Amino acid sequence: MTKPYEVLSLDELDRIPVTEGLEWRPLRRRLGIRAFGTNAYTSERVGGLVVEEHVEGSGHEELYLVVSGRARFTLDGEELDAPAGTIVFLPEHDVKRKAVSEEEGTTVLAVGGWPDKPFEPSQWEWYFESYAHEPERAIEILEDGLRQLGERAWLLYHLACHEALAGRRDDAREHLRRAIELDPRAAERARDDEDLAGIEP
Amino acid sequence: MSERGWAVARLDEIQGPRARQGYDWRPVRRHFGIRSFGVNANVAREPGDVLVDEHHETGGDGGQEELYVVLRGRARFTVGGEDVELGAGSFLFVRDPAVQRAATALEPDTAVLAVGGRPGEAFVPSSWEHGRYAVELSERGDNEGAVRVMEHALEERPEHAGNLYNLACFESLAGRRDDALDHLGRSIELDASFRGYARDDDDFAPLRDDAEFQALVAT
Repeated sequence: MTKPYEVLSLDELDRIPVTEGLEWRPLRRRLGIRAFGTNAYTSERVGGLVVEEHVEGSGHEELYLVVSGRARFTLDGEELDAPAGTIVFLPEHDVKRKAVSEEEGTTVLAVGGWPDKPFEPSQWEWYFESYAHEPERAIEILEDGLRQLGERAWLLYHLACHEALAGRRDDAREHLRRAIELDPRAAERARDDEDLAGIEP
Repeated sequence: MSERGWAVARLDEIQGPRARQGYDWRPVRRHFGIRSFGVNANVAREPGDVLVDEHHETGGDGGQEELYVVLRGRARFTVGGEDVELGAGSFLFVRDPAVQRAATALEPDTAVLAVGGRPGEAFVPSSWEHGRYAVELSERGDNEGAVRVMEHALEERPEHAGNLYNLACFESLAGRRDDALDHLGRSIELDASFRGYARDDDDFAPLRDDAEFQALVAT
C-alpha cells in the first residue's frame, strides 16, 4: 500500500553523475510525485555544473532554488550570483540556462511544469538513471519508463542502446526502428552512437 | 516579469500579507506569476511559532499533492497524527490530500517551501492565495480593492463556492447589498455549509437585519 506521506533528507537521495561535476539527485521519481517535476542537482566541487546548459525543450516553466552553497547562473549570456535562498524563475522555455557551483556542495532544487496542461514526467528521468547501471538493470529501468509513460521515442532509443550493449541485438534493432518511427531525429543520432554500432534499424 | 525571459529574487525579499498565525508568508508563485504549479514559503520567527497551518488538501481547492522542503532551521510536522522532526535539507511529501498536516518551528527563522499541484490536471492557483490579499486590503479599509481581488479569483475558478462566499463578504463590507446577497446565495447553493458560516460571520454584520439575508441563512 502506498503511504499517505513520505519523509527523506537530501543526503538520502541518490547521486547520479551526469557531466562536469553535476550529480543528479532524483527526487520526483523517488517520492512518486505526479503533479509537477522536481529534482535536485549537486556539485561537490567549485566550478562544477549544478544546472547543465540547456533550453527547456519540453516547454516547461522552471523554477530553480539554491538550497545550499552558492551558484553562478548564466541566463542567455547574462551572469547572476545566486547564494543560498536565491530563486530564479524562467517562464520562457527558450532561455539558455546553466549554473556553476561557486562553493563546494552547492545544491539547486528545480521545479517545473506546463501552464494550462497536466504534468507528465520527462523521459530523461529514466534514461539518465539507466546510464548509472549495467545494461540489464538499465533495460529494466527503461521498461519501467515505457510502462509508466507509454511508448516514447527516447525511452525506446536508449532501451535499444542498452540492449545492444547487452548483446540483445534483435531487440535493439526493433526498438531503434520504432524510436525512429516516432521521432526521425533518432536516426541521425544513432548514426554516431557507439552503443548502436552495427545495429541497422 | 522582465523582458529578459527570467526573474530572480531572494526568498526573504518576497513580501506578502502576514498570516494570522504569525509566520511570514512568502508568496513565491504570485511574485513570479508562476502558472504551472503552486509554490510558496513560510518563515517562522521564533521556536514554537506556527510554520504550516493545520489543514488538509481536500475541499474547494482540493486534490493537491504537496511537497514541503525545510530550507533552514528545524520544524516539527504533524502528519496524519504522527510527529516528525525535520531539519534543513529535508523533504516531506504528502501524496494523500486527505491527510491532515501542520508544522511548528523548533528554531528561530525556520523556513519551509511548499510546492503543490493536482495529478492529471492543469494547475489553477488556489483561492486562498487571493483570499489572503483580499483580507489584508479589507483590514486596511479597502473593501472595494478586496472585492476586485476576489472577482479575479472567481474568474480563475468560476462557480467556486469559497470564492463566491468571500466575494460576498467583501461586498457586504463595501455596502454592496445586492451583489453580496447574490453571491452569498450562489455559494450556499453550491455548498450548504456556507449558510452556517454566514450566520456567524461578522463580515455580514451590515446585512444582519436585512430580511433577504435572514431568509438566506435560515435553517
